[in-house]
Amino acid sequence: MKLPDGASPRSLAHLTQHARIIVCCGAGGVGKTTTAASLAIAAAQLGRKVLVLTIDPSKRLAEALGVTRNPPRPVPLPDRYQAAAGIEAPGSLETWMLDPKLVSDQAVRHFAKSEEAANAILGNRIYQQATAIVAGLHEYTAMKALHGFITEGRYELVVLDTPPSRNALDFLDAPSRLARFLDGPVFKLFLPKEGSLVARAASRLVNRVMHSVFGHEFATELTQFFAVFSELFGSLNSDLQDMRTLMTGPDVGFVLVSSPSPEALTEAHFFQDRIRQLELPFAGFVLNRSCARNEHLSFPDPAHFAGGASAETVSAVEKLKVLARASHLQSMRDKGVLADLALRAGGEGFAMALPSLDGGASDVGNLVALAKTVLDERRSGPR
Amino acid sequence: MSSLLDRRVVLVTGKGGVGRSTVTAAMALLARRAGKRVLVTELGDGGTDYSALARMFGQDRLPETSAPLTDGIDGSLLLPGTGLELFLTALLRFGPLARAAAHSDALRRLLNAAPSFREMGIFFHLLTYLREKRPDGTPAHDLVLVDMPATGHTLALTALPAVLLRLVSRGPIPDALREGQSYLNNPETGAAYVVTLPEALPISEALELAEGLKANQMPIGGIVLNRIPADPFTSGEKAALGPLIESNAWYGADGFRRILESQRCSKRLVQASEVPVLEVNESDRTGPHLLEYVADSLVAGVPA
Repeated sequence: MKLPDGASPRSLAHLTQHARIIVCCGAGGVGKTTTAASLAIAAAQLGRKVLVLTIDPSKRLAEALGVTRNPPRPVPLPDRYQAAAGIEAPGSLETWMLDPKLVSDQAVRHFAKSEEAANAILGNRIYQQATAIVAGLHEYTAMKALHGFITEGRYELVVLDTPPSRNALDFLDAPSRLARFLDGPVFKLFLPKEGSLVARAASRLVNRVMHSVFGHEFATELTQFFAVFSELFGSLNSDLQDMRTLMTGPDVGFVLVSSPSPEALTEAHFFQDRIRQLELPFAGFVLNRSCARNEHLSFPDPAHFAGGASAETVSAVEKLKVLARASHLQSMRDKGVLADLALRAGGEGFAMALPSLDGGASDVGNLVALAKTVLDERRSGPR
Repeated sequence: MSSLLDRRVVLVTGKGGVGRSTVTAAMALLARRAGKRVLVTELGDGGTDYSALARMFGQDRLPETSAPLTDGIDGSLLLPGTGLELFLTALLRFGPLARAAAHSDALRRLLNAAPSFREMGIFFHLLTYLREKRPDGTPAHDLVLVDMPATGHTLALTALPAVLLRLVSRGPIPDALREGQSYLNNPETGAAYVVTLPEALPISEALELAEGLKANQMPIGGIVLNRIPADPFTSGEKAALGPLIESNAWYGADGFRRILESQRCSKRLVQASEVPVLEVNESDRTGPHLLEYVADSLVAGVPA
């Protein structure tokens, strides 16, 4: 399949054909993962080699695509599913639905100078618990994996489904928070004494507080954890610089996914501002689960069934009219929302509506239907 | 809901977009109707985030420490930094070390950034509110409600005491963690409610979350099935309409399918859930009227 000429550069179809990285952001529950999977399918249908990277994915999406969760490396869709998704060579789709713990273990092995050093940290109790509860490490490892895939050049496109969080852009900030912590002066307070008189005094204070509050056992283990970790992630800052360069490149697009609910839209607006502040390449909005494109629908008419039909049919259609008015109203509303998003996207981006499908991501057919909607979009702006 | 009102701390959980903040606010309303002193809280970083929960009470965000939101209902963010400061001050008393610690920028930054300290801070902030007493010795707030963010955070926070107790068994931290557990993990005083929608994916996730909470020793008060669409059809009408919906492109088909899916899903949830399912019907009410409606539904929805 090839994209028809004339696809607007400001369209989701154009993005799926040309981008190297697509990042799907948005509040929880708006269908971010579904959107990411559909975009990946669309790009693979266009003949591209695609990876979709999802952190902490739902069981159902994995089932819909016929892949397992948490494999050690990306896995291709089984042939049967590739065929069902309409993907033909040279196009291919691999997925990596990953467990953050697994990725950070790999990162530790990768960074560690020796197997002993790796085992020391993997066996440290703080590390074992920290990867389960630390924010930042997940995001960092996702970015790390992404960076690795892109530089290796194994894929023409990587679609990143950002981890769910209250603030969906946390994942951008979290790694640098971790880096600031590990490389910054605060962290040095834990390390063997060095530096100025002031620094040493501060270090003594921190150590006294840590030991008296957290107990010797915990404080000692914490110090050990920091010492090993600082060595491990010594290169973190330069990595982050690389990642930032990667994420601000011309062939990267941040797609903001929202549902038509007012809360989700408020968050989408907020994310757009954050993306601008962070000077990341904003691509456009996806209004997911919307009824903005229902022009082809008509109103049910009981008169149509006046002859011959059962009394139940007639009364059912009569009652359906109430639902029809509500659904018509909703599509008018969603149209307005889409127009508003197009204005907000301005000259730089698109606003695209994707329909709500029964069963969501639980069925590969639904993902294919969404992919078709994406590729059918040949004009910019809302319709 | 009487069991809800007798508790000291209730976590309201569920993924984004299911109406968790509305349910939290409605529970606060119920407690106030019963004459309880209520505190509603949510996790915050004091940033620029807007708060759906605060909006329920006509404000942009919750205050950083407990303050009245409306008649009889107080609100506060749960802040990692504040929690750790409160903890340090309580522990180190007012000695020179406490003063130095309170003024140490380095320490504050460390506590904000280090793994698991954020959760610990939030935990201690919550614990501080649970401990707070009036001059007559009764709790400052009879009920503390926590509007919990995304699933991952909920599980991290409820797992925290057990996780940290494995790392360190003696000292002030474990004492505080055990005290927190005595509120949270005791079915008499603590409960989590999982809010979800009558759709396939949200219900699977709610059941998974309930499993996770159970594994963390967190008692579950119930699953709130929110926004159930009204069904105007008889079963005969539904059977007659089914084929017509498939062969026509009609407005209203989405609404009809939603009703069928909702009924299928509710049935599955009730069968699979080990805890009570509280049903709340969909409503086009807004603002205070919606809160009243959801509160009434929660009372009515309690199985005998």
